[in-house]
Order: sequence, then C-alpha cells, then structure tokens
Amino acid sequence: MKKFFSNLSAEKKLAMFAIALGIIAVFAGDPYGKNSLKINAKELSLISSDEIGKVKVEDLADDIIKSKSDFRLIDLRKSEEYAKYNIPNSENIQVDQLLNSDLQRNEKIILYSDNDIEATQAWFLLKTNNYKGVNIILGGLNNWKENILFPKCDCGENPTIEQKHKHDKLAAVSKYFGGNIQTNSSEENLVKNEMPQLSAPTGIILKKTLGKKKREGC
Amino acid sequence: MSAPFFKFDYFGTDVSLIIAFLIGIAFGIALEKGGFGRATILAAQFYFTNMRVLKVMFTAIITAMLGLFFLSVIGFLDLSLIYLTPTNVMPNLIGGLVAGVGFVIGGYCPGTSIVAVATGKIDAVVYLIGMFFGIFVFGEMFPSIEEFFNSTAMGSVTLPQFFNIPYGVIVFLVVLMAIGAFTAAEWGEKKMANKSLEKKV
Repeated sequence: MKKFFSNLSAEKKLAMFAIALGIIAVFAGDPYGKNSLKINAKELSLISSDEIGKVKVEDLADDIIKSKSDFRLIDLRKSEEYAKYNIPNSENIQVDQLLNSDLQRNEKIILYSDNDIEATQAWFLLKTNNYKGVNIILGGLNNWKENILFPKCDCGENPTIEQKHKHDKLAAVSKYFGGNIQTNSSEENLVKNEMPQLSAPTGIILKKTLGKKKREGC
Repeated sequence: MSAPFFKFDYFGTDVSLIIAFLIGIAFGIALEKGGFGRATILAAQFYFTNMRVLKVMFTAIITAMLGLFFLSVIGFLDLSLIYLTPTNVMPNLIGGLVAGVGFVIGGYCPGTSIVAVATGKIDAVVYLIGMFFGIFVFGEMFPSIEEFFNSTAMGSVTLPQFFNIPYGVIVFLVVLMAIGAFTAAEWGEKKMANKSLEKKV
C-alpha cells in the first residue's frame, strides 16, 4: 500500500486528495449554513404587525410573580447592559447569537431589548428560521421601567377606593421587582430613579419611598 | 476574524485596491507560469493538441471550489457575501460564443493577453488594442442591445440551487468531472502525439 502511494506521480496524488475532499464534502453539510435563508417575498410583504406575538409588561410581570416557567425570556441587549439590570428569569442572548443558541423551535420565546426595534429584528430572524412561538415585550425594557418598576399613579389628593386598589397593586408589583411607585406630586423623585440592583436587597430604598408616598396622600 | 474581509470592513476601499493590485500581480505570475502567456498553447486547446488550458482551468475551479466550500463549512467564510454574477441565459450563451471565437482567432483571452503584453508579445499588444476597441463599440451600441442584455434573467443562481441538490454532492460531482476531464485530456494528448509522430514518419 505504501509502495503504491509512493509510486504515484504528484498529479495523481493531488487528484486523489481532491477526490477525498470531494467525498468529505458530501457529508460536510451546507456551506451557507445559518448565514442565509430563503424568504418568500410575497409572504414577507404580507406579514402584518398583528402576527408578531406581543406580550404586555403587566402580563409578563404577573407571570413572573406567579413563577410561570413555560416560556424563555430573552434579553437581546449587550452583556454589560444585561449585567447592570435585567428582568428576572431572563437570559442574555444577542441577536447575532440567536440562531446558535439552544432555543428550541417549539418553545415559547419572549424577546426584549430597550425598545421594540431590536426585538422585532430578532423576531423576524427567528420567525424566518421556523421558530414557532416567538413574542416580543411591547415597548421593551423602557416600557417595563415605566409601567412596572416605576409606575405612575394617576390618583389625586383624595383617591377613590378603586384608585387606591390600583395604586396598591402597582406598588406591590413594583416593590416585587425592586422598583418604586411614582406619585404625581413628586417630580424631583422621577429624576432620581435608579435601576434596582440585581443582588442587593432593595428593601431600604423601598421603605423610604413608601413613607413618602403616605405623606403625599396618594 | 471571518472572510470576506472587505465585506466585514477589515479594511477600506483604498486598501482593497492595493490588495487587488497585489492579487492581480500574483494572478498574472500564475498565468505566465502556467504557460498562458503564449498564444500557441492557448490556441492549441481548440485543436485538442495541447489540453493545458482545460487542465489548468479545471484545477483552478476545483481548488477554489474545495477551498471556498470547506472554509465556509468551518465558519471562516460567509459564502452568502460572495458576489455572484447574475445569469442571463441567452446573452451569456451569445457572449460566451463571441469570446470563444475571439479566443481562437486572437490566441488570448482578456486576462492572458495582459500577461502576454507584460512579457512583450507584439500579437498581444494588437489583441489588447482590439479588445479596447471592442469594449468601446460595445459601450456605444449598448442602448440598442440593452433589452437583449437583460433578457432571460435567472438572477444569481448556483448549481445546487438550480438542481436542488445538496452543495456537498455538487462539489463531489464537479471533482469527479475534473478528474474525468484530466484523464481524458492526458489520454487524448497521447493519442495526438502518436498521430503526429506517425505523420512525421
């Protein structure tokens, strides 16, 4: 066998090398891999915004409090931003890594970024790759901040019972996630909001603001 | 790091021109070394007395093909960013025929003529002047043939897409085709050589 090879001319060796590579190529897979996909132009133009599964921040907050776990919450932001703050139970996967991640095509996936734009981009990417249950958080993290962490109470000086209930609920939810409720009259308060620390307890800050709230009679 | 470098912005347009120049020089040297700077060798291909053109071309094709295929399979190269010339069936056929006839008559193809000019071949200089004249005529008459130029468009298609066969299988088939062509070329050359020997005798 050895002799057979050494007796071959250089061209023949090269030819055999080429054939070997050709045979490997048959089993090597698709060179375009995950970098290209076929998009039906007609289908694309007909996708309406209704088809994008949207999750309201309130519903998401409810699900997290009830510790539902039938979905994967994906944070699309950069890892530094993710490290600073993220919605509980979320995982950090950037858009360019989505298709290489361990996300399954039959999972319920909820995407979020700071706003809807990046999330929609990711939604489209996953959708065109045949992921079935892809959703985005409406308004993204900005909306989460505004309505869950630091919600504003629209009740005035003398709240009705309904308003009071609503306020208590908002306060409880925002407290759960380490935020605090905003009141109409404390405008200087709005500026100072800092994102909740991920590991540090937030109790102390909460107590302060809760006290304030009482004073202001909302 | 992943290729194509230019598309991934590893360098700008100015640097890309320098790189193109260097690659062009290397390409010219390779052509000259391969014997493509001599019209007799190139023209001999069409009389089947010297199959060097076929062998070199097929070698280039399978080398590039295997290289691109495996580089993209391992994830170094993004094949979807490589520019593919769109296919227009009839214009390509007619244009190929015109270029082929020019090849036989002139003894060069556009690239090899430049190589031959570089080594001081007078016929190549004439060929080059003719080529630029042709380019000028084509440009001037383009409005009248524009419709045909854009007809029977198929977009940028590749064989695997067209036949709906996996890429790897096409790679394998092209390698087999090349090896077959090499074998046939060697065999044909030997036969031709024997014939010319008999003639001389």
